[in-house]
Amino acid sequence: MAVNLKPVDVAVIGLGAAGGVAVLPLARAGLKIAGIEAGTWMDVHTFKPDEIYNNVRALVTSVPKAKREIPTFRTGNEMQARQGANAPMMNAIGGTSIHYHAQSWRYNPWDFKVRSETIRRYGANSIPKGTTLEDWPVTYDELEQYYDHVEYEVGVSGRAGNIAGKIDPRGNVFEGPRKRDFPMPPLRDTDFTDMMTAAAKKLGWKPFRGPAAINSQPYGGRPGCAYHGYCDRGGCHISAKNSTAVTTIPEARKTKNLTIFDKAQVTRIVSGNNGKDGKVTGVLYLREGKEYFQPAKVVLLAGYTYENSRLLLLSKSKAYPKGLSNNHGQVGKHYFGHWDAQAGTGVGALFPFDLNIWYGAIAQNVTVDEFADDNFDHAGLGFIGGATIQVNTEKHPIGAAAMSTWGRAPQWGSKWKAFVRENAGRWVSSYIQANTFPYENTYLDLDPDVKDPLGDPVCRITSGPKENEPRQALYAGQKMEEWFRAAGAIEVTKAQGGGGPALTTHAFGGARMGDNPETNVVDRWGFSHEAPNLGILGASVFGTAGARNPTLTVQALAWRTAEHLAKNWKSLSEP
Amino acid sequence: MPEEDNSLNVTRRTVIATATFVPLAAITAAAQAPATALSAGQLKTLEAFIDRLVPQDENGPGAVECGAANYIDRALAGALAAEKGAFLDGLAGVDTLARSAHNAAFADLAPEVRDELLTTMDNGAAAGFPNARPFFNRVRRLTLEGMFGDPYYGGNKNFAGWDLIRYPGPRLAVAPEDQRMSTPPKPYRRSAYGTGANNGR
Repeated sequence: MAVNLKPVDVAVIGLGAAGGVAVLPLARAGLKIAGIEAGTWMDVHTFKPDEIYNNVRALVTSVPKAKREIPTFRTGNEMQARQGANAPMMNAIGGTSIHYHAQSWRYNPWDFKVRSETIRRYGANSIPKGTTLEDWPVTYDELEQYYDHVEYEVGVSGRAGNIAGKIDPRGNVFEGPRKRDFPMPPLRDTDFTDMMTAAAKKLGWKPFRGPAAINSQPYGGRPGCAYHGYCDRGGCHISAKNSTAVTTIPEARKTKNLTIFDKAQVTRIVSGNNGKDGKVTGVLYLREGKEYFQPAKVVLLAGYTYENSRLLLLSKSKAYPKGLSNNHGQVGKHYFGHWDAQAGTGVGALFPFDLNIWYGAIAQNVTVDEFADDNFDHAGLGFIGGATIQVNTEKHPIGAAAMSTWGRAPQWGSKWKAFVRENAGRWVSSYIQANTFPYENTYLDLDPDVKDPLGDPVCRITSGPKENEPRQALYAGQKMEEWFRAAGAIEVTKAQGGGGPALTTHAFGGARMGDNPETNVVDRWGFSHEAPNLGILGASVFGTAGARNPTLTVQALAWRTAEHLAKNWKSLSEP
Repeated sequence: MPEEDNSLNVTRRTVIATATFVPLAAITAAAQAPATALSAGQLKTLEAFIDRLVPQDENGPGAVECGAANYIDRALAGALAAEKGAFLDGLAGVDTLARSAHNAAFADLAPEVRDELLTTMDNGAAAGFPNARPFFNRVRRLTLEGMFGDPYYGGNKNFAGWDLIRYPGPRLAVAPEDQRMSTPPKPYRRSAYGTGANNGR
């Protein structure tokens, strides 16, 4: 029998990038919150400048729960899905924000209305076949204030390109209008970022330094970045990089309204046991072998995309025989993994001189936005959307030595050794992220065969073929080739268009947000169309991917859902 | 209540401490020798293998001199214990290949002959050795880790791997000058765990 705990106002499942932000407006509004997290506090002393620890063995990100329920993946309905090797998700207080690159983008206004804008500009036939694309029920303008809240709360560095319509070419001229500038200037320039900026300008493009939730100067009681070069898949040793564990969660705890239940693995969200049918009543979780029931007036589900769909599908009841909030069969649908041009060989380049990009951070980058979203004319191209193209600092020695030799040397022996001696510090890859859309042939469900040690099926990803995404990735990859050539590269990998996403840290959908309950799981505020006191946070609710990292949008939406809950507490919580 | 203290809370003091001191983690000098997985014979075969992948030559120490075999040996007894069986099978396969082709142990063959056999493995053309290619690739990958990873794990002896590719070392705080292209940063020969004897896992 589960131990019954004292009821709370709100149970938040998962204290990561999304839940870790949502607790702040809730706590400030005076609501009593149980933050239920499968992981625990991470010790800052385990964040090491060590490639084997962070990147090779993935020890920052290897946590038991996530490892026990790695999703399976297949590329068609009739295929047997195979389990991935590494967990894309993370369990910790702070979640994936512990080890993310902290690129903190606002989505382009176009991302929220891809369907209507595409039809308006190119006609209905331009909508990719097989997509389930809908406009978001939220616009950029509505989300602007929440982007602003999060940028100032967690500390985002960057240069505005558009303040209330006033364009500044030093920032991203394609961004939506922002009310005010970033709280901090961008991470510092280097010779490499200067070189790539100059090359892009030579091509007539408008390069800029990307936004990062990394302090470029002291902010929020935390120091400026030390640029030590182990940001990727590592935690920050001085907390210059935001994670919700060092920003919003400690702020929320100051109110005394947030109680954290760590190492607590939620196994079910309970519904329909008392009160009106359809409402959720709380969550069941396991902690050190013991089962607890946490009653709550409202539940906010804030796990990773795969965890969210899985937990909903597992949480069946009388009111929800196919899984919680799934009476319309929409849970797990409209799933998509970020399509990028790196999935194949990627576009890398070799230069005839040392680049010295060993240090820095992925977020210390140069980005070009003209080939993303609808920032260029797509007439005759055969696809919609595009990709941001980007070059980054931060290179590690094993990864550097594992380089392509571009046919200039064999892969081993004395000649290889001479080659890497000269060139390991002279090559760079690129980071290309494409707009990605939901399709009929791409969805999440429960795997019929693979189970976790509790006997619960893991999440299964089915991701069928697409036409639009490979074309846009190829197009952007070719632009990346041009950029490298303009910068003086002597070898450039040919763009492939990507092999498509597998298990990914950029996973979207499965609980899409929209006004129509027939095709969406949550409403425009992030609350279930079916279970009115269940909110869902994270990229699970996204309807399109955006051509850039999703976390800031996740956090802006989480803030908005939490604020909506606090403002409408009576109607959303009444039994 | 199962709630713990926020160990990530950064006070001014810890910021200064972590930013000033070179070793990030406390140096935990291993009292006993780290566990290993390979017999003397297996180690000999492995060294004869990786010596051809990255030989000692005019460009400095090779994989053997860098201690890459030591790295692999320790890894198979620790973090990579799950693949130890497959790895030993692979090493045995290398010797079987050598004996059937040249009637001698792999380690006893001349360098050019070893190169020939490794080339057939690399090409997936080694007769009677179906896993030759994946095993070759795995050894190559682990050799890179042993040459270019932190010396804490038993390889990259005297930072020779990092020196070879001019990786300037894991500084905890990096000045603007250290990110210049024209004036490369001075080598900073330190392990992330202290000045750097090979004490780790």
